[in-house]
Amino acid sequence: MATVVIMPRQGQSVESCIITAFNKKVGDTVEKGDILFSYETDKSSFDEPAPESGKILAIFREEGDDVPCLENVLVIGNDGEDFSAFIPAAEEGDAPAAAEEAPAQEAAAPVAQTAEAEASATQGVGSISPRARLLAEKTHADLLKAVPTGPNGRIIERDVQKLVDMGLTVSPAAKDGYTAAVNGSGINGKVVLGDLAAAPAAETVAAAPVATVAEYEDVKIPNVRKIISKVMCDSLTTMAQLTFNSSFDATKLLAFRKSLKAGGEKMGLANITLNDMILYAVSRVILKHKAANAHMLGDTMRYFNTVNIGIAVDTERGLLVPTVFGAEKLSLNELSMNAKSVITAAQSGTINPDFLKGATFTVSNLGSLGIESFTPIVNPPQTCILGVDCITKRIKEVNGEDVIYPSMGLSLTVDHRALDGADAARILKDIGFALENIDLLLAK
Amino acid sequence: MPKSQYVDPGKAFEAGYIHFEDIPVCQYNKTLKEEMKIYSKEDMLRIYRDMAIIREFETMLNEVKVKSEYNGVKYNNPGPAHLSIGQEASAVGEAYCLDINDFSFGSHRSHGEILAKGLSSIHKLDDKELYDIMKEFLDGTVLAVVEKHMNAGGNIKELAINFLLYGALAEIFARKTGFNRGLGGSMHAFFIPFGLMPNNAIVGASAPIALGAALYKRSNHKPGIVISNCGDGATGRGPVLEALNFASMDQITKLWGMDGKFSDGGMPILFNVFNNHYGMGGQTRGETMGFDMAARLGAGFNPSQMHAERVNGYDPLAVIDAVTRKKKLLLEGKGPALLDVVTYRISGHSPSDSSTYRTQEEIDAWKAADPILAFKTKLILGGVATENEFATIQEQITNRMTEIMKLAINDEISPRMDLNKEPDAISSIMFSNQKVVSMDPSREAEMLMPKEECPRVKEIAGKTRTAKDKNGKPVSKMKMYNICDGLFEPIIDKFYDDPTLIAYGEDNRDWGGAFGVYKKMTEAVPYHRFFNSPISESAIVGSAVGYAMCGGRAIVELMYADFIGCAGDEIFNQMAKWQAMSAGILKMPIVLRVSVGSKYGAQHSQDWTALCAHIPGLKVVFPSTPADAKGLMTTALDGTDPVVFFESQRIYGIGEEFMKDGVPTGHYEIPFGEPDIKKEGKDVTILTIGAVLYRALEAAKILEEKYGISAEVIDTRSIVPFNYEKVIESVKKTGKVLLVGDACERNSVMRDMASNITEMCFDYLDGPAVVVGSRNWITPAFELEKSFFPQADWIIDALHEKIMPIPGHVPTNNFTDIEKVERAKKGL
Repeated sequence: MATVVIMPRQGQSVESCIITAFNKKVGDTVEKGDILFSYETDKSSFDEPAPESGKILAIFREEGDDVPCLENVLVIGNDGEDFSAFIPAAEEGDAPAAAEEAPAQEAAAPVAQTAEAEASATQGVGSISPRARLLAEKTHADLLKAVPTGPNGRIIERDVQKLVDMGLTVSPAAKDGYTAAVNGSGINGKVVLGDLAAAPAAETVAAAPVATVAEYEDVKIPNVRKIISKVMCDSLTTMAQLTFNSSFDATKLLAFRKSLKAGGEKMGLANITLNDMILYAVSRVILKHKAANAHMLGDTMRYFNTVNIGIAVDTERGLLVPTVFGAEKLSLNELSMNAKSVITAAQSGTINPDFLKGATFTVSNLGSLGIESFTPIVNPPQTCILGVDCITKRIKEVNGEDVIYPSMGLSLTVDHRALDGADAARILKDIGFALENIDLLLAK
Repeated sequence: MPKSQYVDPGKAFEAGYIHFEDIPVCQYNKTLKEEMKIYSKEDMLRIYRDMAIIREFETMLNEVKVKSEYNGVKYNNPGPAHLSIGQEASAVGEAYCLDINDFSFGSHRSHGEILAKGLSSIHKLDDKELYDIMKEFLDGTVLAVVEKHMNAGGNIKELAINFLLYGALAEIFARKTGFNRGLGGSMHAFFIPFGLMPNNAIVGASAPIALGAALYKRSNHKPGIVISNCGDGATGRGPVLEALNFASMDQITKLWGMDGKFSDGGMPILFNVFNNHYGMGGQTRGETMGFDMAARLGAGFNPSQMHAERVNGYDPLAVIDAVTRKKKLLLEGKGPALLDVVTYRISGHSPSDSSTYRTQEEIDAWKAADPILAFKTKLILGGVATENEFATIQEQITNRMTEIMKLAINDEISPRMDLNKEPDAISSIMFSNQKVVSMDPSREAEMLMPKEECPRVKEIAGKTRTAKDKNGKPVSKMKMYNICDGLFEPIIDKFYDDPTLIAYGEDNRDWGGAFGVYKKMTEAVPYHRFFNSPISESAIVGSAVGYAMCGGRAIVELMYADFIGCAGDEIFNQMAKWQAMSAGILKMPIVLRVSVGSKYGAQHSQDWTALCAHIPGLKVVFPSTPADAKGLMTTALDGTDPVVFFESQRIYGIGEEFMKDGVPTGHYEIPFGEPDIKKEGKDVTILTIGAVLYRALEAAKILEEKYGISAEVIDTRSIVPFNYEKVIESVKKTGKVLLVGDACERNSVMRDMASNITEMCFDYLDGPAVVVGSRNWITPAFELEKSFFPQADWIIDALHEKIMPIPGHVPTNNFTDIEKVERAKKGL
């Protein structure tokens, strides 16, 4: 009995995932546990292991396909087994890359990309609605990469809109000579004139001098990066952001940290970091400032009665912001453990996407990297983000004498549409006071 | 079904006999000597002259047709010429008795009647009246030609004869200077100021129209009688027989008087059969009819046998004698009357007639009895006039006719309409587009009680004018202002505002209309303005046309839209065409109410908007909410154009769901042509016609709630005229459009609109404009209707299959191209 491998659902809110790479091709023999393909949601990436050993009988999808969760991706089984029952309904008309065709496929490596390009080169764009064409002209969408979802394989408006959303466009200059899909090297993957030389159709024009050493490398922008770029641009273009800088005396904070380091383990406490203490202070202070613990949704403000703190995490795949939910109810120790758990998951790329949303306030800490001051970008629809800077030595006058003390910087960016400068100043003042008096805060 | 008349089973079965009176057949036998006591020599010579003018006019037309020349003047006339050579005595005899208050309607063979009545009117009018009529007509265009180019020696009557002959001939030759700007032509020429009403190219079509004119005189107390001329062949046509019956119905004399409150006189109409023995080539006596003599028809319609008589139509004096007596009867309130005027058409049916159906011997025998020659001989032998006098008359006529012909064919003096220079010349007269609150503001409307006391008005005052009450709870059916009420309000208002308004149709009065629109209206409106018609759809619509031609306003009902076929000619050729065929002289303020049924199967459930919308000249509307019903009915009744007003039996009882404050109580119009967005949306446009609106809204709800697709639902409300702008705007927004209606899908209005939308929004469309109509079947029984009429899921399936596949949707109806091709192959 052949075994079908579906696109798993990673979290309740995920509707579909994009296949980033197939590790196996039709005809390959796999062992249980071998990675079959990699896929990503808009925030995380995953590898799908083989549930059984056997031969890949059919692959119904291609790299780059956006596959609805729970739909069939490939079939593992024994030679000659019937897998027709697993062919996804919508694809019935299209011949899947079946085992019989495997030798031919192998000859034409790398499989998916070349096949796609060739198909496009011979067929060009199929039928397309006038509206979709108009939108494509307006947006320079790369129609050769369109996945038609209209009747009879017609490209309709939503298909072009998808290209635009994914940044798949062609520059006007490249358009005329563009007859077969290539991966673009322009901004957001835009196909530009220079990309055309790489296209299979252009290979016939061999007389042109070809560079022997590559002067650059074209790497397709991963989905996570695209999402980050979109969110960041949206944030800056739609909000009235400005950043307020202040600092506080971190003497007690450092002392407390020192005592935790010394005796925390004995007390059964987690490794509580300075950042955890900042998160803790925020969780206790921010509820007082309604507009800072809120979402701005069009003409509505959504004020939260709970504090879900987003933590900006630097990962290999780029910035991710996992959330600690209900932080105001957690003890410092609990908060610390929770934070560690989501940060680790984010860094390893295995985080449940449900933990990558829902934050009401975000903290971004660049202090450990020596940043003295910066302008963090608010993650919409939130209204604030707190940047944590490094500790520097400063002088202050105490009883007529100059005293050197450790000063920690805070950079709070606020959306001026939601709250005003004085509000921001008060928030910083409260957070600073709480951190300066961490002992009192913990006693509360 | 008036309750005042008891249907007694005892009397119904009583034994006895039907008695007939003798119908006089050619009983006229007065001598010339006796007649000379009534007529002067001038009268006799004028009768002769009028006959001779007609003969010369038609001889000229015949010569032009067969020789392309008359009296040395060359001309080619490609249009029709249905001549009545031989029938002049009948026409002149009849016209001799009529004045301009007497309206005459005729057939395609009516040159003789036009000229005869025109000449008679010219004789009877005084010079000033005559000149004013000519000067005012079409701003003096016709008069200017004859005044400038012909010499009448300062004699107004001679000038008027030139005017009449020229106006008629220019019309026949399709000249802009003709009586109807050349838009009527040979078979439809008319001249209302002389009481010369439109003639009709459809055999027998004038009978119900003439009936309507008589109804106008009868219901508005106007002087004069109405003549309905037709040939003997036309008596085989249903509309003629319907008109004979309608004019004879008992209620006119038994109920309309309302116990002495109003007149109880009969219908003032004379059905005059010019019995020339042939309907084209079919011989009525002996071949195509069984009546032997047409006068026998009278005995079939009422106990007075319509005062029918058969008269010698070859003797003008015998005809005058008969028509004079009939006119007297009609003016005494004893109508209707019927005359069978025996004559013969010496000329062929048309110039192409080779007379294969009759012998030369027969033609020769009738030629030998030529009524003009016979009359001349009689006058010469009787010493009334000399051969020379007749020769002079004839010479004058020939000269006049030659001169008239030269004028009428002169392209500079008598140009044709130039549709290149004036591209809107015909467009501008297809509709009159006027707003006239009362067709006769000089009179008070005759009603039986003040409006506030009308029981229905009181009932409506207690109703809630929205579908839901203030708390959002549905209003009970009995308390809810519904579409019937929305239709009723403007109608009852108009009864009080416009004294000419009449309403009739089957079961309109006591029953209140089959679906209750006129419920409790009987108490307020007198019989002669509101009555039950016989089951005679041709006569119902045809009479409304005649009523409107005379200056009245009518609202008539056909109960089911499926009965449109029974009144096909009246709707499609008469009601639709006369405004333009009269060059805008006539107005046609008619509202024809038709109701689209359901539950009653194949012959009682059809939406025939497409049939009506196809015919130029009709306005077509189809409201589906109480507020729209009221506003559109108000516009229809305030206007001057013929409106086919579609209603749906599915939703008569529905309340107002869209206007927050309910249906406004006052007078308001909803302009024709403006569709209405009933629900806003952004992803797909659904354009609806009629009651299907509610199923479209259901589909929109499912699309929204289940699939997150936002549908914009637009109710067309009007079909002709139609302003596409709002729809275009919507389709540009959504890129997707479905057109839904209960009509069978093939050649429906939805198809037409889909094609127009595709033309105008092509670049904005994300898929084809898709039509969802009923199957091209018969309508099955009620229990199976969901497989026939479009349902909410059909709309979603069509969107899914043809425009935008909806993830997760599993269609249950087959809207694939393959299925469409297969169905079309089978004619389904």
